[in-house]
Amino acid sequence: MGPNTETPVPRAPEVPRPGAGALRVILWLIFLGVIYVYGWQVTQINLGELGRKAYLIRPLLRDLIRPDLVERRPRLQVADTGIGLDGATPPAPLQTGGSGRVTINPVTAKVGDPVSVAGEGFAPSRPAEVIWFDQSGVKVHLSKTSTDVSGRFQATVTVPNVIGTEHHVMVEVGLEGTTLGPSNALRLTLFRMVETVFLALMGTTMAVFLAVPLSFLGAKNLMARNPLGALIYYAVRTVFNIARSIEPLILATVFAVWVGIGPFAGVMALGIHSIASLGKLYSEQIESIDPGPIEAITATGASMLQVVRYAVVPQIVPPFIAFTIYRWDINVRMSTVIGFVGGGGIGFLLMQYINLLQWKQAATAVWAITLVVAAMDYFSAVVREKVV
Amino acid sequence: MRGAAVRIENLTKIYPDGTRALNGVSFSVTPGEFLIIIGLSGSGKSTLMRCINRLVEPTSGKIFVDDVEVTALAPDELRRMRRQIGMIFQQFNLVKRSPVITNVLSGRLGYVPPAWSLYNYFPRDLREQAVAHLTTVGIPEKAHTRADQLSGGQQQRVGIARALMQDPKLILADEPVASLDPATSHSVLRYVEELNRRDGITVMCSLHFLSLARRYGTRLIALKAGEIAFEGLPSEIDEQRFKEIFGEEAVEVEIA
Repeated sequence: MGPNTETPVPRAPEVPRPGAGALRVILWLIFLGVIYVYGWQVTQINLGELGRKAYLIRPLLRDLIRPDLVERRPRLQVADTGIGLDGATPPAPLQTGGSGRVTINPVTAKVGDPVSVAGEGFAPSRPAEVIWFDQSGVKVHLSKTSTDVSGRFQATVTVPNVIGTEHHVMVEVGLEGTTLGPSNALRLTLFRMVETVFLALMGTTMAVFLAVPLSFLGAKNLMARNPLGALIYYAVRTVFNIARSIEPLILATVFAVWVGIGPFAGVMALGIHSIASLGKLYSEQIESIDPGPIEAITATGASMLQVVRYAVVPQIVPPFIAFTIYRWDINVRMSTVIGFVGGGGIGFLLMQYINLLQWKQAATAVWAITLVVAAMDYFSAVVREKVV
Repeated sequence: MRGAAVRIENLTKIYPDGTRALNGVSFSVTPGEFLIIIGLSGSGKSTLMRCINRLVEPTSGKIFVDDVEVTALAPDELRRMRRQIGMIFQQFNLVKRSPVITNVLSGRLGYVPPAWSLYNYFPRDLREQAVAHLTTVGIPEKAHTRADQLSGGQQQRVGIARALMQDPKLILADEPVASLDPATSHSVLRYVEELNRRDGITVMCSLHFLSLARRYGTRLIALKAGEIAFEGLPSEIDEQRFKEIFGEEAVEVEIA
């Protein structure tokens, strides 16, 4: 039948044959069924394992609610005295007020000299240790001895190979019982947590400095007025999209190889990713500027810069601040994961604890992450509400 | 204070897409007049308003404000001319996130040293003047409220106060009440009328309701497809004449 053999007649709307719809539905269901059966097999889903192997996860969960926060340490009675090297005047003792007193002879010496150390006023018949406490805070264990029944002791030590002139000779006498204090895991966790927050801050800040100028080049309303501008606009947007599609996890792996494992690799990974995400958000904000106020301020006879200051800045700066704080918040969360692949911060510590099967210590890190992330989340929400 | 005289000669505006928004428009406004420009959407009212302070560059024709040819001014001279021409907009065009007082003070930007603007600095006498203008429009208590917290009518009154901050000889009001309800429209127009009567400021105000035009205008121009279709006293135009000009489709919406 040729195209022109008959005049087109308006056709009546197609009436579906009875059963045709049902058949189509059944075919679709069979198709979906095949897909999900295959999916179930290929991903090895086995819900029974969850119950049968619960015993494996139980100690881990038990440790998770018992994080390593405090530890008992031997109680110590500490006293010290200053010693000057190479003719320097001995510094004042670090600790005052205890009952123990340490005297040394001579009070000035040089590296390799013998120094006799005498103590009194300590707990009787306890182990004592003589320690060299150098200017930078490093402790060198010199000699082990013990106090006599009247709480005195006597020892001779040799000045270790240290640099600097003002040092201390310290005595630690072990007492009965123990003291409760923050555990090593807690202290490490706090230190790494601070590192993580700052890692995220530095990455975000780095991104802001590059994203702000780039966002103006990636704003359609500013750039797409001539062909060159349009070209720049598309180039910037493409770079944003590509950079944004690379997971920070992959970037962190790359930078860990490049600059070594540590927080700097994390800063770079988060920074690169944030340039793209912040740049896109900033650009969209610039694109959604209301031209009305610009027109109104121009009409008052204001100069170009005054128009920017009074009509443009109030429209973009508060949302820019809000986006940036939100990004920092996201980056704190991301930096914990980034630590797993060598990006430094708390994630790196957590991974070490997990590898060593130190679940209680891992729990300390997990709780710290949870608390900090929740706090950041709240804080950023409050600030965003205030600003916008 | 004395209002400005405006003379428009053969004004034509053709937009880059070929739209002929104004086609050889000529008329004069005498000092102290309350001139209403009436017309349907797309008749060229907004373009005409914006040509006078050159927010829109005319294609051809001349505009004189107090015998100064606005269309021939260099950028710096144009800025000094704009200072004396207050403008009120349909969408108010306030900076929504800034407080009311900053919006009002921004009317003074053409007069203050630009360096002040970096710190958003305005001397005390200007700030007092801004509050005085807010008192004139009846909302002195809103000075430190964010502009977007205000109702439409209040926002437009801030717009009027911003224009007053310029010490204008001429006020261009582009559909100032088109976004407001009837009662609020009257209260806003009454403030504009008061400035016109009390201070003698020349007002050019575009509207698309004949009832408002008849109530407030001292003279009226009707624009149709970029040309003047009627020029005369508001009392000379009635519903019949309105329909003759704009066609049966243009139903005049009566407002109380």
